[in-house]
Amino acid sequence: MKLEIKDIYKNFGNKKVLKGVSLTAESGEAFGLLGRNGAGKTTTIRILMDVFAPESGEVLINGNPIDYDKIRIGYLPEERGLYPKKKIIDQLVYFAELNGLSKHEALKTSDYWLERLKMGEHRNKRLDTLSKGNQQKIQLITALAHNPQVIILDEPFSGLDPVNAMLLKDIVKEEIEKGKIVIFSSHQMNYIEEFCSKIGIINNGEIVLQGNLHDIKRNYIRDRLVVKTEYPEKITEKYGSQCVVNENRELIIKLNSADDKQKIMREITDNFDIDEIKVFEPSLNDIFVQYTSNGEQEENNETV
Amino acid sequence: MKQFKTIFKFELLNYIKNKVFVGITIFLVAAIAVVMFFPQIAEFFSSESSDVTEQKPVMLIINKAYDDSDMLKEAFSSAFVDYDVQITNDNIDSVKGLITSETAECAFVIKNSSKYEYYVNNNSLYDENTMVADNVLQNLYRMNVLVENGVSAQEAGKIMNVQIEHSTTSLGKDQTKNFFYTYIMIFALYMVILLYGQMVATNVASEKSSRAMELLITSAKPVNMMFGKIIASCVAGLVQLVAVFGSAFLFYNINHSYWDDNFIMKSIFDIPLNLLFYMLLFFILGFFIYAFLYGAIGSTASKVEDINTSVMPLTFIFIAAFMVVMFSMSSGSVDNILMKVCSYIPFTSPMAMFTRIAMSTVPLYEIIISVVILIASAIGIGVISAKIYRVGVLLYGTPPKIGAILKAIKKS
Repeated sequence: MKLEIKDIYKNFGNKKVLKGVSLTAESGEAFGLLGRNGAGKTTTIRILMDVFAPESGEVLINGNPIDYDKIRIGYLPEERGLYPKKKIIDQLVYFAELNGLSKHEALKTSDYWLERLKMGEHRNKRLDTLSKGNQQKIQLITALAHNPQVIILDEPFSGLDPVNAMLLKDIVKEEIEKGKIVIFSSHQMNYIEEFCSKIGIINNGEIVLQGNLHDIKRNYIRDRLVVKTEYPEKITEKYGSQCVVNENRELIIKLNSADDKQKIMREITDNFDIDEIKVFEPSLNDIFVQYTSNGEQEENNETV
Repeated sequence: MKQFKTIFKFELLNYIKNKVFVGITIFLVAAIAVVMFFPQIAEFFSSESSDVTEQKPVMLIINKAYDDSDMLKEAFSSAFVDYDVQITNDNIDSVKGLITSETAECAFVIKNSSKYEYYVNNNSLYDENTMVADNVLQNLYRMNVLVENGVSAQEAGKIMNVQIEHSTTSLGKDQTKNFFYTYIMIFALYMVILLYGQMVATNVASEKSSRAMELLITSAKPVNMMFGKIIASCVAGLVQLVAVFGSAFLFYNINHSYWDDNFIMKSIFDIPLNLLFYMLLFFILGFFIYAFLYGAIGSTASKVEDINTSVMPLTFIFIAAFMVVMFSMSSGSVDNILMKVCSYIPFTSPMAMFTRIAMSTVPLYEIIISVVILIASAIGIGVISAKIYRVGVLLYGTPPKIGAILKAIKKS
């Protein structure tokens, strides 16, 4: 199954929030939707979920306009919240029923997921008696219980302890393997890097970068070297203005041309006492900052 | 449709499982039970202590005008049956002393046949003694004049006490009979719509502030949400009304014999069946109109605390409608121009038209026009409210201006 968002424009009043957003996500892969606060991620998701109608543009499934009666979407909103004063099982069943399940199915699947997330003992408690992380797990069930073909998770890891984060990772991987389309929106780049084969970066209502994460990284000009050493001074002496020390106390040497890299690498290994040397590959974090900083980049680079 | 049913069931259960809702209903039924069984209870207690005869308060009369004190005493005694009337020869000061020491309750000093002074310790707002005394003395004066002019005392008595018989046949509605139940029904309508309207608004706003809305709006269609919520609260309101009025009716019938001589009670439970039907019709339609608007307003508030200020304009409209109806009712002319206009405006017609149907004779076509306007506007307002809801629930921060909402609706 292929989910396409095609050329979406959306205004709120005079403010143009989305200016021609197009994205493609496919079954069995996770798509990372990135963007700074207010870039238009949530609006994109809401249009995808038919909460807003776009000014123009369309949402397609396998090339045809999406039929919301047939395609089930599971959503974990960034702004979490359910009914605080209600019994957990009651609201899980309610939301599953709203999403099209029968009462019986809703009860069955809710109980399955409570067990799966190790929340079975809380089944009959009120939601507000749980800790924040556990409430989040309950909310996650509302996104998964009705076995949706498309799962949208907005900051799913925030507030989870490492054990719960691991549990969630396993579940997300499972869902991806089952052939679901998973759309991830997060500012925690390490998770995106771990899950998402494809990413799209949205900035000021426009897609500024989209594609396979691996390809994106390989496409960067490989004209920088990372050197780990106890004695950076000597190397700085030689390469002078080309060197920067990053926050991990690694030396980054910018080459005049990518073609020089083998030569320079050999030069350094021959002449200096180093622990490690490799070609610099930008992290997703770097890519994100580069594409979204809108002129604030200069300052950011200095701090790197 | 399935989604609507799910929402309806969920919201209705919310009301029925709500302890406050159940508590208030039980309290109201219990309060009505106490009122309805009161004569029986009172009789039970008074039969136990009936041998204690109550002392009548003393009324003193100083006679300076009439030769025949006995006649004066008799006239006062028959007029003031609740008093122990005594003629006294004491002077005014000692009588005043008796009154302040509460040995006597009041005193009349009859100066001449057309002048007296009345002494009482605490003059109550409802003291009608002077009016009665005026009457007694007027009659005595007229009697004396008649007797002086040669009419026999017997004849004079007859002339003075001639009885006029009359009967009233109301060809339309009898306002003396329908006033009380109309009043109660209008008041019930008013209370239920106001209470439930606020509840709907609070319910929507709290879903919004708890952010459950984020999930609701993506899981369910706004129209289903709105109609499910409103119809559930309407049913809950009806259940409460039926519980209260039903139990009142039941208790009244159990205690029927005790209330027979109470005019107000009798007229309250003498509601014609077709009026109950109209009550139901106007209740449901009026409820929808207001509850939809309350829901829509609730969706634009981002905090539950903002609700009170946001719903104020709507509440004012409703209170104004209530006032118009109440004033027209108490003035006795429910068919005045204002009421006629109000019975076609959807915001006021549930109360105005209902009052007119109850207390006067309204042509059927007028009722039909009013109901059709109401139904059409209820549906229209319902759909518009669902749109406001869809836009409103995702706006956080300060409540948006009406213009901004309208713009957003137009586009969605």
